[in-house]
Amino acid sequence: MTPADECLRRRDTSGFLVCRTLCILLPLLLLVAGSAVAQDRSRDNLGDQGSSADYAAAIADSANARADSASAAADTVPQVYSTTAGAASTSTSGLFTSFKNTPKAGVRANVRQNNYYGELTTNLSMRGGSIANNRLNWSYDQYRKQDKTVETRGLGLDYNTGSLLPASVRASGKWNWSEDKTVNTTGSANVAKRDFKSGTVSVSKPRMQAGMFLTTLSAAVGINDQKANDQNVQNDFNEASVDGHLQTGARVARGVTIAGRLYAKSLGGDRSLGTSTSPSSANSDSMGIGIYYDRTVAVGRVAITRSNFDKKYLDFNRDQNGQVDTLTPGVEKYVEELETKDAISIEFENRFQIGRIDLRANLSRDINEQDYAISKAGLKERQQDRMNLAASFGAGRDSFEVAYVYGYKWDDQKLQDATERRGRKYTKDRDYEFTWYRDLFTATDLTVKYHQGLTQDTAENQYNDNDKDRLETDLSLKLGRNWNSGFRVNLGFNWKGTQDLNIRASRSSTNNHRDSYEVAPGYTWILSPWLTLSQNYRLYIQYTDYVFSHLPDVNREDNYNKRGNLNTSMVIKPSSRLRLNLKYDYNKRFNATKTATDVTGGSKYRKDLIQTIGRVDLAVSYTVAEGVTLEGATYRNRDAKDNIGSTTKTTVNHAGEMWLGCKISQKWGTKHPLELSATIKKYNAYGPSVTETSSDYWEADAWLKWEF
Amino acid sequence: MSLDRGIRMPTVAVMVTLCLGMVLVSGCFLSPREQESPSSGEQIDYVNDNSAVNVWTNLEISLNNTHAPGWETRISDDFQYTPDSQALNMPGLPPGYWENWNKERESAFINNLYDNVVGIISLMRDPDFVVPDESGGVAEWEGVIYDLTVDSGGSVIRYRASADISFRLEGNFWYVYRWIDLIGESDPETGQTLSSMGVLRGTFGSN
Repeated sequence: MTPADECLRRRDTSGFLVCRTLCILLPLLLLVAGSAVAQDRSRDNLGDQGSSADYAAAIADSANARADSASAAADTVPQVYSTTAGAASTSTSGLFTSFKNTPKAGVRANVRQNNYYGELTTNLSMRGGSIANNRLNWSYDQYRKQDKTVETRGLGLDYNTGSLLPASVRASGKWNWSEDKTVNTTGSANVAKRDFKSGTVSVSKPRMQAGMFLTTLSAAVGINDQKANDQNVQNDFNEASVDGHLQTGARVARGVTIAGRLYAKSLGGDRSLGTSTSPSSANSDSMGIGIYYDRTVAVGRVAITRSNFDKKYLDFNRDQNGQVDTLTPGVEKYVEELETKDAISIEFENRFQIGRIDLRANLSRDINEQDYAISKAGLKERQQDRMNLAASFGAGRDSFEVAYVYGYKWDDQKLQDATERRGRKYTKDRDYEFTWYRDLFTATDLTVKYHQGLTQDTAENQYNDNDKDRLETDLSLKLGRNWNSGFRVNLGFNWKGTQDLNIRASRSSTNNHRDSYEVAPGYTWILSPWLTLSQNYRLYIQYTDYVFSHLPDVNREDNYNKRGNLNTSMVIKPSSRLRLNLKYDYNKRFNATKTATDVTGGSKYRKDLIQTIGRVDLAVSYTVAEGVTLEGATYRNRDAKDNIGSTTKTTVNHAGEMWLGCKISQKWGTKHPLELSATIKKYNAYGPSVTETSSDYWEADAWLKWEF
Repeated sequence: MSLDRGIRMPTVAVMVTLCLGMVLVSGCFLSPREQESPSSGEQIDYVNDNSAVNVWTNLEISLNNTHAPGWETRISDDFQYTPDSQALNMPGLPPGYWENWNKERESAFINNLYDNVVGIISLMRDPDFVVPDESGGVAEWEGVIYDLTVDSGGSVIRYRASADISFRLEGNFWYVYRWIDLIGESDPETGQTLSSMGVLRGTFGSN
């Protein structure tokens, strides 16, 4: 055992005890403090009465506005409105209003792994909406198909004061421990361990009215501590953080609100990676402003957010693509990185609605710049523009929708030691869709959909040969009729054309147009309340034409692939307890390659493959008593394949599976209920793809829960 | 509102004409660019996707030629990816990074990888792996070991790992619809434990 292992082992035990003690003491300490303060504050004084719904929604929108990835790592906006959510009803008869413990233990098993778990949840509700929650959990996974086990332990504590204090105070703590042991095929073992603890105390004062402004203020302090080891590399950190958040808004006219937010966070501590240790820090801030309107027929918003961060941390030595290079001899393994990022996002959204006319528009632009001081990746720049336009309108029995999507983005990179930029990679997307829906006549409807989309990739200055276009066009028609006698008929037709086209000569030999057609008639017939029959037939055919197949240097041949599929299914319910499902699926497919074109332009093909697949399924379910169901299912499959060449090779494969099981769901008692839920199935299977571990196994999901 | 009561068939006809007009006009805008004629000696020869083993071979061809369409078109619309422990615990990834790793994210990853590397040499199946037969439109490969070396220009990094791969016959062709990375395997020459493509997905998928 290495010193790191010994250290983690010691921490496992001590951490578990410390956290468990904290779990009991923290809510109690906070309770005492909270109740003392509560003596002086007998009434709720959140001061949020009378605020209008649209105003609050605008501010909430602002808080949840699309945060740029720049702030994602270091910027966690406190959800100030959730702190009092779910609070228990207040009682004036005592300090505690409810105390609930819920232990639960269970097991899950499937073809890949067995999982055992246990958890204890404690909820304590107090006067003034104050609540304390605690969750202790443990799980153990044992993998059946590989030498791998994973054990996890966790503890979560959460306490909030509700309305006991003039501001909402929330304290939370978390402990996660895991040990993941794996052995690869050559017997090389790895143990990945992680021991993570965090604690946060946050204070927020929501919806303070000052003149025309409605303001929410929040602040938080936190600490994160991790000890981890993977592939014999230590990855530890111990960091403390402080952040503050201000949201404010004002209604400037009827249905028009201006809202803004400011957020800043600072973090500092130490990080260890491998054998190196160094101080770490991160500073981030973001600012957003938005105008929100809701004026009779038009609803929308314009918002702009700017965010940035700088982070100093110990990192692996990475190449220009961010890959970790620890194998090359003589290369420094760990470096002290300084990463900065600036980002701006602008968004406009509008919806205009009159009667059955609905027009929607959404436009956005995101720009960001990310710079690494040490990593060979150097400087990265990105921009993304997006426009979605949609219009729908109805007239009589018809309704129509037209949508257009335009996307344009690029990214560029200047490697660490380079004097020139790499060149931009552009991606442009355009997409149109038209849908027409019509009630043709009684109980008969028609849907027609047409869509076309083009995606184009271009490398500036041809820094690579990957320029390409993909054009997709599809048309579908669906017709359906319901007869009163429980008979429904569907008819579907689809055509889809795809063009995959590489622009550069080194890649264009595989350029092709693929056209696929599908016809799918079917019906569902409810013959009686206990018998339903349905049949669906589908015929697909796809033609592939290689653009340059006529050139002598291009070794590609045009081809077609055809498949017919008849699916018949029957649902029988002889009694309210018994249900049977019977299904038969018949598939036949051909592959053929073009051999010649005759003088009239007609093509001749030779068949390469004929495949026939037949599969029968049977499933039975029987309810023995309330909450107890016996179930079982089986299938048998025959797959015959003729590969046609100079000689024909025939292969026939059989496969099948059967499982039997039961499902139990029971609850005893009402005041302190004991609940049992169990689904247990035994599987046996055979076939060419079925391995030893998949041929005979149990599937289970069973748990027992008690509430007191 | 009284507006829709006033709309009658002539209005519908105008609306349909307008919509179809917009579609037709838009259709005219959406035409792909001219392509260069393929240069001799630089052919990418994929095999027909009529079996699971061919699809896996085609992924190898795609990697060796850094040809993104060759990867994307063999990934099922229902694609799911599960990382191994090392990828799961990669430092610096945002919370929830591995959730919902679907075809869209797989496409973004492979394009990003191919756009930023100089070359890749791959062997997607170790010679000792026995390919199981398909049956009923499904093929399950357990413990296949893949091996690839990525040349980024400034560094050359090797990835080698075992994975469980599920293939499915959808319509007329086979696709990869589930990829579970199990564990990084050892470098046969040095014995050093290498990383999986999960680590590569973590690096390039987040760029």
